Amino acid sequence: MFEQLVDGIFWDIALWVFAIGVLWRILSIFRVRNKPDYSVPRDSAIVGAIGTNLHRFMPRREMISRTRLQVVAGYLFHLGLFALLVFAAPHVLFIEAQTGLGWTPMPYWAFIVAAQLAFIGLMLLWFHRIMHPVTRLISDADDHIAAILTFIVMLTGCMALIEEFNGLRVLHRFTVELWLVYFPFSRLMHAFMFIPSRAFTGAWFGRRGVKA
Amino acid sequence: MSDNLERGLEAMRGQMDTSVMSYMSTCVHCGICADACLFYTETGDARYTPIYKTEPLRKLWRQEYTFWGKLAASMGLTKKLTEQDLADWEELVYDGCTMCSRCSLVCPVGIDIAYMIRKVKEGLSAAGYSPGDLVEAGKRAVEIGSPMGVTLKTLEATIRVQEKETGLKVPLDVEGADYLCLLSSGEIAGFPEFIGSLAKIFKATGVSWTISSDYFEATNTGVQLGNSKMAATLVERVVAAAEKLKVKYVISPECGHAYSTIRWDAPNFIGRPLPFKVVHIMELLDELRSDGRLKTEGFAEEKLSYHDPCNAGRRGGVLDQPRNLMNMVAPDFVELPETGAMNWCCGGGGGVSSNERANELRLKVFSAKKRQLDAVNIEGLVTACSNCRHMLEDGLEENEMYDVELLGITELIADHLVEEGG
Amino acid sequence: MSNNRQSRIRHHRMVVFSLLSLLVLTLILPLIPYAVADLGQSAGKVVNPGADLWREVRQRDRSVIGSTQVKGVDSGVLINVYGEDWRQFRMQRLIPYGAALMGIVLSVILLFYLVRGPLRLQGGPTGKKIQRFTVFERTTHWFTVSVFWLLALTGLVLLYGRFVLIPLLGAEGFGMTASACKEAHNLFGPMFLVAILMLFVTFVKDNFYARGDITWLLKGGGLLGGGHVSAGRFNAGEKIWFWIAVLGGIVLCVSGLILDFAVFGQGREVMELSHVMHGIVALIVITVSFGHIYLGTAGVEGTIDSMTSGYVDEAWAKSHHDRWYAEVKAAAVEDSETEPAGGGSASTGVASPARDG
Repeated sequence: MFEQLVDGIFWDIALWVFAIGVLWRILSIFRVRNKPDYSVPRDSAIVGAIGTNLHRFMPRREMISRTRLQVVAGYLFHLGLFALLVFAAPHVLFIEAQTGLGWTPMPYWAFIVAAQLAFIGLMLLWFHRIMHPVTRLISDADDHIAAILTFIVMLTGCMALIEEFNGLRVLHRFTVELWLVYFPFSRLMHAFMFIPSRAFTGAWFGRRGVKA
Repeated sequence: MSDNLERGLEAMRGQMDTSVMSYMSTCVHCGICADACLFYTETGDARYTPIYKTEPLRKLWRQEYTFWGKLAASMGLTKKLTEQDLADWEELVYDGCTMCSRCSLVCPVGIDIAYMIRKVKEGLSAAGYSPGDLVEAGKRAVEIGSPMGVTLKTLEATIRVQEKETGLKVPLDVEGADYLCLLSSGEIAGFPEFIGSLAKIFKATGVSWTISSDYFEATNTGVQLGNSKMAATLVERVVAAAEKLKVKYVISPECGHAYSTIRWDAPNFIGRPLPFKVVHIMELLDELRSDGRLKTEGFAEEKLSYHDPCNAGRRGGVLDQPRNLMNMVAPDFVELPETGAMNWCCGGGGGVSSNERANELRLKVFSAKKRQLDAVNIEGLVTACSNCRHMLEDGLEENEMYDVELLGITELIADHLVEEGG
Repeated sequence: MSNNRQSRIRHHRMVVFSLLSLLVLTLILPLIPYAVADLGQSAGKVVNPGADLWREVRQRDRSVIGSTQVKGVDSGVLINVYGEDWRQFRMQRLIPYGAALMGIVLSVILLFYLVRGPLRLQGGPTGKKIQRFTVFERTTHWFTVSVFWLLALTGLVLLYGRFVLIPLLGAEGFGMTASACKEAHNLFGPMFLVAILMLFVTFVKDNFYARGDITWLLKGGGLLGGGHVSAGRFNAGEKIWFWIAVLGGIVLCVSGLILDFAVFGQGREVMELSHVMHGIVALIVITVSFGHIYLGTAGVEGTIDSMTSGYVDEAWAKSHHDRWYAEVKAAAVEDSETEPAGGGSASTGVASPARDG
């Protein structure tokens, strides 16, 4: 019964809530307009917007010694998770079954390594969050739920690895559905929002001729 | 709801824009902004975390601009923004932030945090929660024309002394001059040799310039307070003076926020483009250098370095010009570690040095600057902002670092001018 | 405190002590006939006419390895000699002795807590704090803890699950649970290597032998009364735990990797040996961790703060780690006496000169 719901209506609901929710959140930032800028730009704002979107992937040299753990763990997590989501064989097959789009998955050992790196990154980040006085002050429930929910999705996935028990697969899919529904209302939106934010900041500094 | 709170909320509502909406949805509470802010790194107090300083704006965004936030607030599930919040944030925002924007350069998801802190100030000042010293300075700026109370008489007296020392005329109210030069009260009072240096340089390079007796103040206390109406009023005075004298350019002197205000924010305060071009004095000097009109001789004897004022460099974009000028008179000058756009703030900008309540704090966080200076072993530190200079002087004295001299870049150039042949 | 109240507390303690002793005995006693039966072998064999043939097949004297068409590791071995021994070891020794070990130690700790009570901070806290562990040290520690416990719990399910969980979940339900635990255990295993290495590098420098360690051990660290015992940043007990955790952890990782990635030519014997080592060391490390957890939480007042906030009360520092406390204080005095001009050293965050445009 539960399995039918998870494979059926829950999945549809989760996808629709995710898609509409994300779109709504992105478009809603335009409910209030930016005021026009009457100053004479020194350099191109658009170049700044694109440039900052790319530059901010690399931490500034002056900040590396202070932020090493977050940068390393952050990349381990994000890159590992990206590799997992997009190139792990079970996911590739799933996406192909759903959409018809398929591509070559990565070898099994790479899947395992990516998963381990993603776990290490996520766990280090979350423990850092609860140990550091700054993040202790500014973190809220949303931050913790997002991290823990993501962990649970990854863990249930890992538990279903040998694809032997349908119950474990269903559990993983159910946690994914929870994650998808949670996404648009949460901190996880940063996955999309970083692009316009970097763009606005990049444009602001860009027209002043500062590489931001 | 109290009047104060309502005024504060209304002011912040007027500050909401697409950028803020985007930023508020993006922050993941990583805390990296704190590692860039000298008020956090030098005190260890997590409340100075830059994004934490924007709490009042974030709460407003949550409870009025998001679906779930509105729902939760109406059901009493979350605490709404209160007047006490505004009161509690006054110290963090005015004493513990110079709006140097270093945080804005390091946020991994690209949030311009200083941009938002500026908007929080609009709310706090409208609600009546700004430092008394700064409010008084603002009153003086509006009523007398200078936040420090420097009158035209004081300026004229200063000019007379400079004319005597240089043997040159300082042109006042010359209609049709190319350049109108503004001055900061801090310069007039503390570093008047800047005026003499300008006279020397402009004579040698044949620049037609003037100062306006109607309005000469470069600083803008409205910007420091977070009061856009006051900021606009002060900008209009500059525009009026420039239009009256029909100048092509306005020179922003050795001051940080004066430049970022008149060059970048002024047109937006008054809602229209400026009827003149704006240059920082360093931009002009660099132009004269590349034209070949500015000629210097000799080199500085001391080992020098350069301190980028936050609002001229990181927020203003005047980063290459000081280095070109330094290379003219001190080609072996050393860069501070973490320089240019990533320079550490002196700790006195954004109105902090005008706020006596913040004295202890700004001297405490000077340790960031001290650390930079300790790493380079210099005899002289050159800068292009009179407020930075005052702050650096205070900090060096507090730390008994008597062997570092402070110099203004314009004066440095003027001291090495090639004497005119005849 | 009145005499009446004192004697009532004593009475309660005796009752609890007795009940717990009964519990401990109940756990230990059944093992005695078990051991006795094991030591005595039943004599008298019936001669099997095919004994010689089957002896060769079973390769008890390892004289003949069969040849096969399919070539592979151990493919010439029809019946593994040590297989039954290994299975017997796992079922009859590892599982029950492991349970007994953990049960006894847990009981002893509980007993100790009820009888001796937590070690209170003498004279109470001063309210002044000093930093004991940095953010990185604490993050590393808790990261290791979480990976360890994930592995420990999934591992214990693999060892004890069939006894404890089948009654609860049924055979099929347990099959699913065990599969899930095995996958999680195998994925997190290599991560434990990363965690242990991080832990090692972070804490090793203060975990070498220092003068005073033997004395500390002889005095029982003050746990059994006798008051304050001198120690450096880490006392001898902590050092022993560090090395058990690291060395045990390495054994677990190596044996675990052998077990997890069985595609590098490991034969059955190697796998069995690895499993035995893995199981024994795991149970030992888990058991010792009970003591570490107890002392770090309920057992010694004021200790948990060191790993949560990173700061400890000065009274705690003086009482438990006096030599470390003295070093910290001396360094603080040195810092404040440093010449302000030119004498300071560039600290972290100050990079080489370069300009950013």
